[in-house]
Amino acid sequence: MTSIGIIANPASGKDIRRLVSHATVIDNNEKINIVERIVLGAQAIGVDRVYMMPDSYNMGYRVTDSLNTCDELKCEINVINMMLFDGMEDTLNATEYLEHLGVGCIVTLGGDGTNRAVAKAVKNVPLITISTGTNNVYPVMMEGTVAGMAAAVVASNRFNNNLFISRDKRIEIYKDGVLIDIALIDAVISKDVFVGSKAIWDMDKIEKIFVTRSHPASIGFSSVLGCKKIISPQDDFGASINLNVKGKKIKAPIAAGVVNPILTEEPFIMKLDEEYEYVTKSKGTIALDGEREIVFPKDQKYIFKITRNGPYHVDVIKSLEIAQINGFFQDIANSDE
Amino acid sequence: MKITNEQLKDMYLTMLKIRKFEKNAMDKFAEGKIPGFVHLYIGEEACATGACAALRVDDYITSTHRGHGHIIAKGGDLNYMMAELFGKSDGYCKGKGGSMHIADADKGILGANGIVGAGHNIAIGSGLAIKYRKTDQVCVCFFGDASTNQSTFHEGLNLASVWKLPVVFVCENNGYGISVSQKRHQAITDISVRASAYNMPGITIDGNDLFAVHEAVGEAVERARKGQGPTLIECKTYRWRGHFEGDMTVYRPDGELEAWMKKDPIPRVEKYFIENNVMTQDEINKLNAEVDKMIEEANKFAVNSPAPSLESALEDVYSDIVEEGRVR
Repeated sequence: MTSIGIIANPASGKDIRRLVSHATVIDNNEKINIVERIVLGAQAIGVDRVYMMPDSYNMGYRVTDSLNTCDELKCEINVINMMLFDGMEDTLNATEYLEHLGVGCIVTLGGDGTNRAVAKAVKNVPLITISTGTNNVYPVMMEGTVAGMAAAVVASNRFNNNLFISRDKRIEIYKDGVLIDIALIDAVISKDVFVGSKAIWDMDKIEKIFVTRSHPASIGFSSVLGCKKIISPQDDFGASINLNVKGKKIKAPIAAGVVNPILTEEPFIMKLDEEYEYVTKSKGTIALDGEREIVFPKDQKYIFKITRNGPYHVDVIKSLEIAQINGFFQDIANSDE
Repeated sequence: MKITNEQLKDMYLTMLKIRKFEKNAMDKFAEGKIPGFVHLYIGEEACATGACAALRVDDYITSTHRGHGHIIAKGGDLNYMMAELFGKSDGYCKGKGGSMHIADADKGILGANGIVGAGHNIAIGSGLAIKYRKTDQVCVCFFGDASTNQSTFHEGLNLASVWKLPVVFVCENNGYGISVSQKRHQAITDISVRASAYNMPGITIDGNDLFAVHEAVGEAVERARKGQGPTLIECKTYRWRGHFEGDMTVYRPDGELEAWMKKDPIPRVEKYFIENNVMTQDEINKLNAEVDKMIEEANKFAVNSPAPSLESALEDVYSDIVEEGRVR
């Protein structure tokens, strides 16, 4: 029995950044369309069972109905039977349960925030991450069919996973010696004094940014660093940068359609597992992967650490290339007959 | 968004006024002192408070049948409101309108409304008037989830977008249209997605988070003032009471109310105040006692106000047309 899991966040793609930037709305019907194509791609390449996180829009059942109606559903879709909270807890609980079920791969639909939630719960199951969020560095725009095929290749367990799966970095945040939270891409120190609508966009309030990776093509706060220094997911270091103090101005795409000048110092390279102490200068919040999460008072000490403890992540293109080189698609086609 | 501690305290005071006004209305209705119907706003206080705190006195709001919270948040007078609920002659409508017709033009309150979905086009009218007069005012249009199935919602959003009107549509999605769950009356979960059909921004926020509401509406109001057009903001919230007082709420699943009561917007603000030294518990208690007094005063005002005379039934039926075509 070859199985995969799908976590489609019903809340992604609808936050305040549609108002304060030019971000696109991704409605749940579009997510359903993508999930349908994932299922069709995966079942064609040997997946027998797909487990889905339940949600208030019943995306799993809608996908099942739709594919049954056109008589194209060949595998089994199981919507996980679990209590719903309509919040991040659902993603955490579903991820843990999918791992417990032993799925070969989890496909996520959401933004950086969604994947951060998955990363908090996942241990060893590799992820394929499709962007349906706002500022998307961790997940990428990808055709669902291709994602489903890649998930099937991974779940088949026929290949040396080291060829197309790598472990990502993450930012770990400690308070009083205790790990309190993580980020996959960036952690931002902001002078916003409450969580509010969560998203963060006002550059004037940003004091400091920590990143695991950075690139000018990465929309969001990591691009500020990325416009000065490119750090790849493979590099065994991250970095931090101070803003709005002194230095030179730089332009960076901090949100969809927003490319603003920002006063920055030079980046500070943070080696893997090196601890970096930060003491808050005033009241504020720490935004993790674009969402305000931690409210802090003045003079609070935190430790930031870049580690390689992030999720296992599938290189979709490479996985399909390895499958092709090894004649997998031919084998699958012949075994169908 | 910059927000001072004084502004935060004002918002908290408004939430307390709404909660205590509504609890009093609930009690007085049960005692038979309030005629007609009342639709209570308990549980949704953060929506009206956060939104109206982003407005100026000269800005407008349109309200609904569940309108007490909106009116209080826009500066409505508790005494006149309570007298109106009691059907007394010192009420906002001289005791002849009741809960669902309270208006105060001087404060930009264009009226509660007994017709579901009737506020959208009143808001469009005020938006058009603002544009015609070339001022930088804004109108916030409050409405519920079920009214977004009415044609007025779609007509309103369409015209607001076509004419780039300064209207902020604030949908208080409390999960039910009277007794029908949103799951049964709509094939979507997030009403904000309807904005894309009218080419305007649409966002969904936690309607029980005062800060989230204030921040989102504040941004939308700023956008509207700059002439950038309308916005749809969906606030996910919940009414603790039934659709009307007397509704037994048998349509609610077990545990749903209790789950939402844990998200009560008022203690969330109190927790923030204490953790961030905005107010102490003693100051919070003192403010609560002050609001209790205000409500008691409003009760006395309503009780002591005379009932409308029989003759007054024929007054205020038609407007007097005065010179220059203006209506008085």
